[in-house]
Amino acid sequence: MTMALPTSPGKGRGRPLKKLHWLVEPYLYLSPAIILIALVMLVPLVVGISYAFQSISLLNPFETGWVGFANFEKLWADRLFWKALTNTFWWTLGSLFFQFFLGLGLALLLNRPFAGRGLVQALVFLPWAVPAFLSGLNWAWLFNPIIGPIPHWLAAIGIMDEPQNILANPKMALWGPIVANIWFGIPFFAITLLAALQSIPRDLYEAASIDGASVWQSFTKITVPFLAPTIAITVMLRTIWIANFADLIYIMTGGGPANSTHIISSYIFTTAFRRLDFAYASTLAIALLVLLLAYAMLILQMRKHLVKGI
Amino acid sequence: MTAITLNSINKSFGPVHVLKDISLEFNKGEFVVLVGPSGCGKSTLLRMIAGLEPVSSGDLIFGETRVNDLEPRERDIAMVFQSYALYPHMNVERNLGFSLELRKRDAAEKQKRTSHAAGILGLDKLLDRFPKALSGGQRQRVAMGRAIVRDPQIFLFDEPLSNLDAALRIEMRIEIAKLHQRLGTTMVYVTHDQVEAMTLADRIVVMNAGNVEQVGTPLDLYSNPANLFVAGFLGSPKMNFVSHDDPALSLPKALTHPKAKTYGIRPEHIQVTAPDDNAHLIGTIDVVERLGSDTIFYINHGAKQPFVVRVPGIDRTALGEKIGCIFQPNDLHRFNADGQSISEK
Repeated sequence: MTMALPTSPGKGRGRPLKKLHWLVEPYLYLSPAIILIALVMLVPLVVGISYAFQSISLLNPFETGWVGFANFEKLWADRLFWKALTNTFWWTLGSLFFQFFLGLGLALLLNRPFAGRGLVQALVFLPWAVPAFLSGLNWAWLFNPIIGPIPHWLAAIGIMDEPQNILANPKMALWGPIVANIWFGIPFFAITLLAALQSIPRDLYEAASIDGASVWQSFTKITVPFLAPTIAITVMLRTIWIANFADLIYIMTGGGPANSTHIISSYIFTTAFRRLDFAYASTLAIALLVLLLAYAMLILQMRKHLVKGI
Repeated sequence: MTAITLNSINKSFGPVHVLKDISLEFNKGEFVVLVGPSGCGKSTLLRMIAGLEPVSSGDLIFGETRVNDLEPRERDIAMVFQSYALYPHMNVERNLGFSLELRKRDAAEKQKRTSHAAGILGLDKLLDRFPKALSGGQRQRVAMGRAIVRDPQIFLFDEPLSNLDAALRIEMRIEIAKLHQRLGTTMVYVTHDQVEAMTLADRIVVMNAGNVEQVGTPLDLYSNPANLFVAGFLGSPKMNFVSHDDPALSLPKALTHPKAKTYGIRPEHIQVTAPDDNAHLIGTIDVVERLGSDTIFYINHGAKQPFVVRVPGIDRTALGEKIGCIFQPNDLHRFNADGQSISEK
């Protein structure tokens, strides 16, 4: 026989106050984390975005206040913004393309056993450990015909008419920081892709070679599908990092000559801390944020598609 | 007709000489099992036949062609791996047809051969699944199906059943035997499990420490082992070895041999009697295992290793009792000081 308990759990849920209690309780437990996240992430974000709708320029300290979409109208008409946007595109694409393919090649080379592999691996990863400031200075010197060899080499093989500094040439200057960035970023791809390569079971390659796969077919049908999820996530991360990575440009060209090498993030930095126009800098930052969010969503969708089966 | 000829094959990994002067011939359509303890070089030998390991010296010949320097894909072989080596990013159908995909065969032929292989192995309903959604036995079947689709000259198996549980192992063993009957292809099968070797093989190659100890049909090896290693490796429970000067042993003159240092007798070739003068060996029962179909006695006769006797049916002789053993004269094996079998009776 069954005896009913004098009070059963959940009995009080019908009453309004109890019901409210029951609804609120989980959020109460979550609240420390939510409050912390809100404080460190959302508050700065909201404040930063709100700047874009105000006039905050330290050079005009008396003209503050809400201005609606005036900053965005200014952005639309800003020739320098569109130049920086094009530059961001080439800077990101050029750096990423060579970083990725050279890094992949390096990872494939390092994945086969040879004498002294440990040492070579350590050396290959060295550029990643050099501070961006140092490597920026170094590359700026390397491109300088007075102390650096690169212009002389370029002249010797006939690419340049005479040794000159490409960083001083508005048409070519962006390629200086791009080359430095490629050198700097190859190890990242080499490390992550090597780790992914080493996780591919060896007997899959053996099975494929017996099934009749050539070296190229093994690469396209085994290696690439296994690397695809890693490639998607690293390319996405690197794209965002590179697009935001103003250090090398700021050190090597300072956005010059004649503002020809600004990318959006270096333009933001200059606007905020050189021209002290925080409102417009914030407007630029929102434009960059929207672009990168759209890009990240695209890549994440692709990745979902790629990881099927693995 | 010979399918595979191994001519003085050697294999070294750096200074380690793992296969020593192996010469063997496998006939067309034959099921050959390479068996031996782990580390004896049997898998290395199979991988050399597959082309996954280079041959250090000697000739590897398929039919009339020397294949030493051919790539695996040029050898017309198929191999089933211990780990199955299924491609995790392809579904069962694509796994099965991958070799045809690589050869750029048209879709109709691929479809036909894939569904044929799937039909043989009962995989029809699993074609859309990915390997991670398959059980161990199903993965094993896909690995075999992949080999069937190839329709190769030679099938190679590298311990294909060792990752399966006991019941499934027996089932797949039967399946492999059926497959061989059906296809009639030359098959080379590596295992360390002597039961698999005995049940599947047309011929067994027993290997030990990089050498071939003996080659022959299962029953030939069982009845006439060439040396102590083969005698002890095949058969379960193992053959008993008794030293010629063991005080518990009293063989009649007719059964002894002047050069024999070790006598071997299998547990199933012994009769239990009273411990009197007629007995060939006397000892006390230490352990009894009653399996229903057989009773196994572990007899202590003063030596380190117990002497094992297998009696059919249920025998109620009690633990601790002293009993005598009589050896069946035709099944007594004699080994000389080098451990080689003395053939004359």
